[in-house]
Amino acid sequence: MGNPIIDLLTNTYFLEIVVFPGLTSIAILGALLGWLERKLTARVQLRIGPQYASPAGGILQMFADIIKLLFKEVTIPEGADTFFFIMAPVTALIIGAALLGLIPFAPGIQIANIQVGLPVFLAIVTLSPTLVLLAGWSANSKFPFIGGLRALFQQTAYEIPLWLSTLGVVMVAGTLSLTGIVQYQQNSGWLIVPQLLGALLFIITSTAEMERLPFDLPEAESEIMMGWQAEYPGPLFMLVQGPAFVKLYAFSALFTTLYLGGYLGPSPIPPILWFFAKTLLVIVLIMLFRSTFPRVRLDQLLRQGWTTLLTLSIINIIIAYFLVVGFPAI
Amino acid sequence: MTDLVFLSLATVTIASSILALEARDLVYGAAALGIAFLGMAGLFFYLDAAYIGAFQIAVYIGAVVVLILFTVMLVGPQLGEPPLELKRLSLLAAILVSLLLGTAGAVSSASAFPGPDNCGSGCDLIGLSNALINQYGVQLEFLSLVLAAAVIGALTLAKTDRKTE
Repeated sequence: MGNPIIDLLTNTYFLEIVVFPGLTSIAILGALLGWLERKLTARVQLRIGPQYASPAGGILQMFADIIKLLFKEVTIPEGADTFFFIMAPVTALIIGAALLGLIPFAPGIQIANIQVGLPVFLAIVTLSPTLVLLAGWSANSKFPFIGGLRALFQQTAYEIPLWLSTLGVVMVAGTLSLTGIVQYQQNSGWLIVPQLLGALLFIITSTAEMERLPFDLPEAESEIMMGWQAEYPGPLFMLVQGPAFVKLYAFSALFTTLYLGGYLGPSPIPPILWFFAKTLLVIVLIMLFRSTFPRVRLDQLLRQGWTTLLTLSIINIIIAYFLVVGFPAI
Repeated sequence: MTDLVFLSLATVTIASSILALEARDLVYGAAALGIAFLGMAGLFFYLDAAYIGAFQIAVYIGAVVVLILFTVMLVGPQLGEPPLELKRLSLLAAILVSLLLGTAGAVSSASAFPGPDNCGSGCDLIGLSNALINQYGVQLEFLSLVLAAAVIGALTLAKTDRKTE
């Protein structure tokens, strides 16, 4: 029996939650994703992007921004509901970090290996529209409220095709556990091949859930000036921007787990590197959407969500049914 | 330790349920309702029923609380609405719903929910799904009838609102 503090600090579970794959790594990776997005968008638009904050292509730019934001004054808008105004982004950050606790990063490196990891992940995602609406409402300002309502429309409309598109994977793999889905792919190959339609639907709907271009109506800068984030001052603005990158990381990790075989890969390279290589690929793909597509209109977004995507996800379930039962002989 | 987790979850659930009923501001009430549902989900997780917990969150917070909040914000928070003049109709609805629920309860006999002793390896998710579809299909249909009645009622209310405008 040693010192209880040292026991706690060397406890694997504690280290997993606090260091990797938990909170510290999430914060650092979130900041690096912010840099990657700015650099990548700049490259697509033939600009240079962040450059001065470190020798390696301005890779420390986001950290410099975070330090700058931390020292800004906290101003709460007049007539705002202070409790919800501050609690909503904090809770959103907690939710984003909770999503990553369910992802199997490598054999054994997973904070919560539960039997029903996939529905729990998606259920945690459904908490976010409530928070965005409350954040937009609490600011007592026009644009945040419009942004909050838009976020509500969009996220509740796209949750249904998101759930249904993952249902195909569940039917084919025969399990709801994320580790189980990866193990199924070890024997039967990556699920993106039989579930291509589902993978496409998943990436479209998850882009909408993350409020990223071309579905960034809730924060459209040119229409409603960052929407529900408009009134947030310095340090709180950082808390509002943080969950966006954490969610990007979490959804890309989930896509990798569901469709790209998770941590599986030829053996000389360790599984964790395979996982991060695939996740990075998905992240770059989603970031390229941002610099490629124009923003959709609200009516287009909702019509596509409730008609096309819903129909396609039901077709995807029918495909999954035939994959499980076997195609009928003609 | 176990009692502490249970007690704190129960306290959060009960306290926020009371707050949901008593809050002056409807937005606070809805948010408290969300926290109460979250506490319920926590209890489900604590009882090793993560599947039910996940759907508790997805359906009750992801859909019901969002709809309540949305309605509150659309209509505008008003303090203390007068009670609706629908007493006879609501009595009829209450009788219908309790009849449906009662029938569902009667169809599932006393032996429908065996104690934990009978719960061997068949108590996993697959066993639950099989039981739900094969054994309790009729009850499931009754429950969905209740839901359908709620949807029809909501549509009727929405339609009468439009006529008065």
